[in-house]
Amino acid sequence: MGEPAITIQEHEKRQEWWWAAEKKRSDRLDYLRKAMWKKGAIGGLYPPGLYVDLERPVLQTEKARELESSPDPYVIKFAKILAHVLDTKTIFITDHSQLVGYLGSLPNTITWDPTLAAILNHEVMNDPSAIPEPEEESLKIITDVTDYWAGKSDLDKILPYMDLDDSMKVLSGAIGWGVPLSRGGYSGKDYEYIMTGARAFEDIIEELDRRIDEADEKAHEPGATKEISDLYDKMNMWEAMKITLEASIRYAKRYARLARIIAENYETDDKRKEELLQIAEVCERVPAKPPRTLQESLQYDLFIQLFSRNEAIEGAWPARPDYYHGSYYEKQVNVDKTLTKEEALDLIGEFLIRAAEVSQYKPKWTREGLQGIEGTWVWTLGGVKKDGSDACNGMTIAFLQASRLVRIANPTFAFRWHPRVSDEVMREVFECIRQGLGYPSMRNDPVLIANAMNWHGHPIEEARTWAHQACMSPAPCTKHGFQPMRMANATVNCAKIIEYVFTSGFDNVVNMQIGAETPDAATFTEYDQVFDAWVTQMKTVFSILVRPVNRARILAPKMTPRPFLSAVSERSVESGLDVCEPSISRGNAWITAFTWVENADSLAAIKKLVFDEKKYTMAEIKEALASDWEGYEEMRLDFVKNAPKWGNDDDYVDDVMLDCLHEAAAFSRELKCPSGNNWPILPENVSGNIHYANIVGALPNGRRLGDALYDGGISPGPGLDKKGPTAVLKSCSKIDHISDGRAFLLNQRLSPTQLAGEKGYQLWKTYMKTWADLGLDHVQFNCVSDETLKNAQRDPEKYQEVIVRVAGYSAHFVDISRKTQDNIIQRTVQGLG
Amino acid sequence: MPTCEECKNFFSWEDDPRKGDCVERAVDPRQAYYKAKPVNADQDSADCSSFQKK
Repeated sequence: MGEPAITIQEHEKRQEWWWAAEKKRSDRLDYLRKAMWKKGAIGGLYPPGLYVDLERPVLQTEKARELESSPDPYVIKFAKILAHVLDTKTIFITDHSQLVGYLGSLPNTITWDPTLAAILNHEVMNDPSAIPEPEEESLKIITDVTDYWAGKSDLDKILPYMDLDDSMKVLSGAIGWGVPLSRGGYSGKDYEYIMTGARAFEDIIEELDRRIDEADEKAHEPGATKEISDLYDKMNMWEAMKITLEASIRYAKRYARLARIIAENYETDDKRKEELLQIAEVCERVPAKPPRTLQESLQYDLFIQLFSRNEAIEGAWPARPDYYHGSYYEKQVNVDKTLTKEEALDLIGEFLIRAAEVSQYKPKWTREGLQGIEGTWVWTLGGVKKDGSDACNGMTIAFLQASRLVRIANPTFAFRWHPRVSDEVMREVFECIRQGLGYPSMRNDPVLIANAMNWHGHPIEEARTWAHQACMSPAPCTKHGFQPMRMANATVNCAKIIEYVFTSGFDNVVNMQIGAETPDAATFTEYDQVFDAWVTQMKTVFSILVRPVNRARILAPKMTPRPFLSAVSERSVESGLDVCEPSISRGNAWITAFTWVENADSLAAIKKLVFDEKKYTMAEIKEALASDWEGYEEMRLDFVKNAPKWGNDDDYVDDVMLDCLHEAAAFSRELKCPSGNNWPILPENVSGNIHYANIVGALPNGRRLGDALYDGGISPGPGLDKKGPTAVLKSCSKIDHISDGRAFLLNQRLSPTQLAGEKGYQLWKTYMKTWADLGLDHVQFNCVSDETLKNAQRDPEKYQEVIVRVAGYSAHFVDISRKTQDNIIQRTVQGLG
Repeated sequence: MPTCEECKNFFSWEDDPRKGDCVERAVDPRQAYYKAKPVNADQDSADCSSFQKK
């Protein structure tokens, strides 16, 4: 006799959330969840069974060759290449699915876009783990494609127009990551234009035709003014937009046709036949026409996301799905009763799975920095409407419930908390956290709306539409407020700032002068000299990274245009200008500040041990750091143990943190984006603390080269916050979360035992009240015990589904490196109450 | 020379019978699905391993 089956309640009591979810969800969701190919890299390498899709690069290359002799301007040629891919790529419909569409030709493929950067293409060629069999044949294709795009890719085209010195420093990988490309970062969307149900692709095409006709008429008036001359460029842009929209409609209809073929020729199950015919109807409707049902709305959204990724690599997925799909849910589930809650959960759960599957080949440094996930799909839930009233709806709850059923690590959610959020919604939020998903992260809506107005001048009605751009940064979803281009190289490895104070800007790891040539730190006799050098290095490093982004943004409309994204953006449809054109964008730039807190802890250690207590000289520290603390262990321990550390409500080090932030904030207002707006900083990390471990040299907080850096944002160093959760919150509350920066990430670990039951909810709610009262803008929780995590390290096969919050994203624990795993275990488990 | 339109997997387009979808059932280690790719009706399918005479 076998063992009696364990009940759902028993699984929940044992906190075996994965097993409980498996039993709770529908057969369809269970199939689809297990059918999903996880695309996140493990240790920088793609998991077995996945391979690079060669169909798309071949299609792009054959079309590009065909168009070489065409008189079309570049933007139209580019649009035709995108259309060719949509018209001819392989499509598929997975059994039991109700939503369709994937970037690659088959479910286990990773798409590769060879038009972006020759360096990326060379990575593909040298990535034996991802090249499909037969290898020899694949290599021939990869070589042909790579050779063709050498010199023609976006990066190859724009690099000659960049500052060579800046480019070399950026590409060194020491101070930032990423490349300044409009099609190589990620983009927000003008959801207020495209997702409100007011219009869809056929409506936009009609408007484009009208604008082209009007412009054409005007262009043939006498007189060759600049205005008339510009109309020719606009007509080309409008034409390119139209090509992409028409191809997108055709692509959806290909799915409609396939669904009908399966229903009429292969499927024997009547219920499934009906579902397939429903898929056909949906794909005939959207994206051509506005959605009418929840299924159509989700399918429409999914298509838009896929088309945007047909055009560009998108490393994030800014979205506010409960807000834009909520009315369809409300109508069908609560008013018309044409859809049950369970049927809605099936659709929403599948929507999460379809998003989780999306994959685009990315360079190894990105895969290392985003361990275990494909990109930061942090979807925004909750918040307020444009009039300030509560925006939570049935779909908010449904998304939270669906996430607990499918338990995927990407997308994750961030919840816009505000004082009018109902207890019912808060309990759903808490349940996700308690069940160890690591999400949603909690965002303070009133603070962040005020912050958006303060830093970027977004009007309040627009600021209230904000959605996460990646892990942390808000941007509105409006005509002039949405962000069309985020380039990750405005991401600063800030620990280098304090490192360069001791090397006069010379980077000993990559062996080049990167920072400013500040005076020899050994000669400093006052703390102010140290801090002045720090400020100089901060300004220098920030500027090196911001300049190429600004330059690329200015070059983007002509050299690296985005006709599809433009076509779904009101400002471009109206103006005929590319979506990246700075003059039609308000600007919403920010500097992501990786490895930030090391600066405050290091400066405080120097201030106390060198200048207050005079235990050491600057020359000694300089020497100790140059030796990677080797031969200075006693001294190193003094810097680790006896210097004040951020996160303990200690004014000594907290004031240093504020000094650093105030200097950065002041400089953020000097740095301007091409739209003339500010570049505030945003401390957060993803898993950059591990990626940069071997790139950042020894630091005055006692860290050695190779040691993991802190887990980021304004989170205290792991294990260094010794005075409890309130002290952490109090330290963080000394920062002005509206004017000191764009947002501040805070990781906290809570005990799953303590969060059990109603008492756990009340404890958490009290904690959240303190957090809100103190005015913090962000907090996120890991709620998995040390025991579970250590067991997962010992026996990963048994713990495949344990999810943890890494930084601004979640990942399956077994998919992240040992160093990152250890770093999470080392974080202090805060006891509440 | 066999052509795609002679194959069971070929489904011609209503608006252009010279073209059609090649539809196949596939099963990978995780999921089962139907896939489709556009082909020309008169395309040579002599070397196609999936060809099935109608």
